[in-house]
Amino acid sequence: MKKITMTPAALLMIAILTACSTAPKTTSLLEVTRQQYLNVQNNPRIAQLAPSEMRQASDAMSLANQAAQNNESADEINKFALLAKTKIDTAEEAAKQKNAENNIANAGKQRDQMRLEQRTTEVDQQKNRADYAERSAQIAQSDTQRAQGDMQRAQGDTQKAQQKVVALSAELADLKAKNTDRGVVITLGDLLFGFNDARLKPEGIHELQKLADVLQTNQQQKILVEGYTDSTGGAAYNLQLSERRANAVSSALQLMGVQRSRIAIHGYGEEFPVAENTNSENRQLNRRVEIILSDANGNIINR
Amino acid sequence: MSISQSATKRGVQLLFLTCLPIASIAFTACNSVPTPVIAEMAVSTSDVNNAAAVGGGTLAPDEMRSARERLKQANNAMAAHDYQAAADYANQAQAEAKLVQTKVSSVKAQQAAAALQEDIRVLREELYRVNNSK
Repeated sequence: MKKITMTPAALLMIAILTACSTAPKTTSLLEVTRQQYLNVQNNPRIAQLAPSEMRQASDAMSLANQAAQNNESADEINKFALLAKTKIDTAEEAAKQKNAENNIANAGKQRDQMRLEQRTTEVDQQKNRADYAERSAQIAQSDTQRAQGDMQRAQGDTQKAQQKVVALSAELADLKAKNTDRGVVITLGDLLFGFNDARLKPEGIHELQKLADVLQTNQQQKILVEGYTDSTGGAAYNLQLSERRANAVSSALQLMGVQRSRIAIHGYGEEFPVAENTNSENRQLNRRVEIILSDANGNIINR
Repeated sequence: MSISQSATKRGVQLLFLTCLPIASIAFTACNSVPTPVIAEMAVSTSDVNNAAAVGGGTLAPDEMRSARERLKQANNAMAAHDYQAAADYANQAQAEAKLVQTKVSSVKAQQAAAALQEDIRVLREELYRVNNSK
């Protein structure tokens, strides 16, 4: 009976006592400090960068918690809490310092890296410039060589052309060629043909052979063969004779290898006498075949 | 002889009786300032002065003011012969002086790092300009 009435009271007392003893004593400063400590702990970088400061902060935090657990006065708890808070602040600040110092060290490395890169760039640029210069020099040299080659070839061509001109001049001189308004004109006189005949004498053939040689060396060159007579006899007959003589020359040249397409012929009969038909000498001069040489491109000025 | 003897004895006793409390008070006074507190105060004073010397007043003004305040409180407690409180304040003053010094170093390092980073940025721009103008 007695026991039964005592039990609830005892339980109540125990409950109250337990509540009092288990309810941890704390202060707002301790709570703030604990929260800050938690935050710092959740950032592993801080313990990594400032291990000794962090250890001191942990020790101070333990002392503050100990004071709270020992139910000491609020002032006593705050004393330890403030110390802990100061040390946590210090740990945070030390971590920031270390981080900044790492950045400084890193900046040095970064600068070295940049310097290295710049050197590489400069070397590359110099190499490129050197390569470019070398290439330019090579190109210039090959240009020079080509130009020299061109010049030599041109000189050679010129010499050849000059030689040709000299040769041609010599040959033309043999043919008693004359430079006239219409170009170079070779006159085959009456004595190279049979009397009143279109056939060439051997001397005439010989003269034509020289002309054929000239024409062979200048494949572009064309000729116009013009036949003329004196005024003796009928005009129609004379015209026919002049054409036959021009034709004879043309045929002879073709037999010597000159293409027909390079030879034009024309009979003028009694026209365009070179002297008055008053005496036999002059008439002989008028009986002739004139061969007009074209320029290098094959152009001939017609009468 | 006996009178003089006894008088001397009494004089000695009187001297003892009068001197003992004074001596004891004097000894107590000397002994009651525990050496650790004196050391703590000296260290705190030095720490706070050092914190000020490295530029705590400009780079960590709030923390510097607080540390000085703690040192003042410690000195006040010493004057009031509250040595426990003096030791506690001195201890807190040391911690705050350490915080000031750390913060000064931290701010200086951060400023140096920022300046270097800026230098590198400028240099990088300059190199980019030079390399791409050739």
